[in-house]
Amino acid sequence: MLIVTGVMVLEIFLVSIFAGLVGALFGLGGGIIIIPFLTLVEGVPVQLAVGASLVSVVATSSSSAATYVHDRLTNLRLGMFLEIGTVAGAITGAFLAGFFQGPNQAILFILFGALLVYAAAVMLAGRKQDSPPAVQPDGLASTLKLSGDYPDSATGVRTEYSVSRAPHTLGLSYIAGIVSALLGVGGGIIQVPTMNLVSKVPMKAASATSNFMIGVTAAASASVYFLRGQVDFLLAAPLMIGVIAGASIGTRLMRSTPPLRIKLLFAILLLVIAADMILQGVTRYR
Amino acid sequence: MDLNLPVAYTLRVGVAIGAALAAIGLGIWAAQGFDSSTALSNYTLGNILEAALTGNASGIVYLGIVVLIATPVVRVMLSLVYFFAEKDVKYVGITAVVLAMLLFALFSGRIA
Repeated sequence: MLIVTGVMVLEIFLVSIFAGLVGALFGLGGGIIIIPFLTLVEGVPVQLAVGASLVSVVATSSSSAATYVHDRLTNLRLGMFLEIGTVAGAITGAFLAGFFQGPNQAILFILFGALLVYAAAVMLAGRKQDSPPAVQPDGLASTLKLSGDYPDSATGVRTEYSVSRAPHTLGLSYIAGIVSALLGVGGGIIQVPTMNLVSKVPMKAASATSNFMIGVTAAASASVYFLRGQVDFLLAAPLMIGVIAGASIGTRLMRSTPPLRIKLLFAILLLVIAADMILQGVTRYR
Repeated sequence: MDLNLPVAYTLRVGVAIGAALAAIGLGIWAAQGFDSSTALSNYTLGNILEAALTGNASGIVYLGIVVLIATPVVRVMLSLVYFFAEKDVKYVGITAVVLAMLLFALFSGRIA
């Protein structure tokens, strides 16, 4: 039986401000920070940590998406189109979960970590350019009117962009959905580099669109944990309030930060998460 | 008509209600001497509502969580209505597929 004290609630609240900030700025849910904190620092059992974290992902995603959609940074059409992939992937992942336990899950962690190292390397190599100009949209992207534009308040420029290779990005969204269902993390961390590197969506729009999308899959996953009784109210409440406060700081930072700085920081964050994934895989394999 | 503002307001309102209920619940818990012995162990919607209405700290927080989890789902429903009104057949299809899969996941409990 988990006993949550007032001090724990305060600590969780403070850490969740940071998680909400990072999540909002980079298009992630923030589970990558919250789950290790709850399990390693607060001694919360993994299932309860994941359950509470999923609720906070919905909060981070929805509150930052509210701002980004209002600021027209989010590409609504692209988000809704790619949600087909992520939601289908999450359902597939849930069916595959039985197979990916123990050593199989460990190998998946290592493979996923290696994939993130590759994505980080490509991002670092292209850190001087957010997304190339004059991208040719593919047939599907044209049919679905996926091209977008957004006002960048950091540079004062209205950035217009086309979406290329939409079918590839849809396929990778499906894989992102599967991976997030199997590993409990990783929706946004795949989604943002995919949109930027494969479909040439500018970083800010990719991050905002990812935030918009992950709330949907996280809500579905969170409801399952909730119905199983694996969401503790004393873990979830400070998380919800904290990530919302953090997300409001993160969305303000997004306005003032130049896109290339976001891309560089994202690549560094990817490397850190990749190292963590590979380490987790290795420890689980033993 | 523009979809951005209704979507932004839906998300904003859902999050605000969820966070407010979480804060009220935490406040009651703290005021009652950090006592969680009255926490709900069975979360059906009826139980949660009944507990929340009687001022039970966990019931109020759980009600906030229910509102929060429903928010993205309501957002997808709203988008579907919008595309339907705009007679945008392709996006009616896309959002309908997403909503169908989402409801399947919510009610079958297969996403873990």
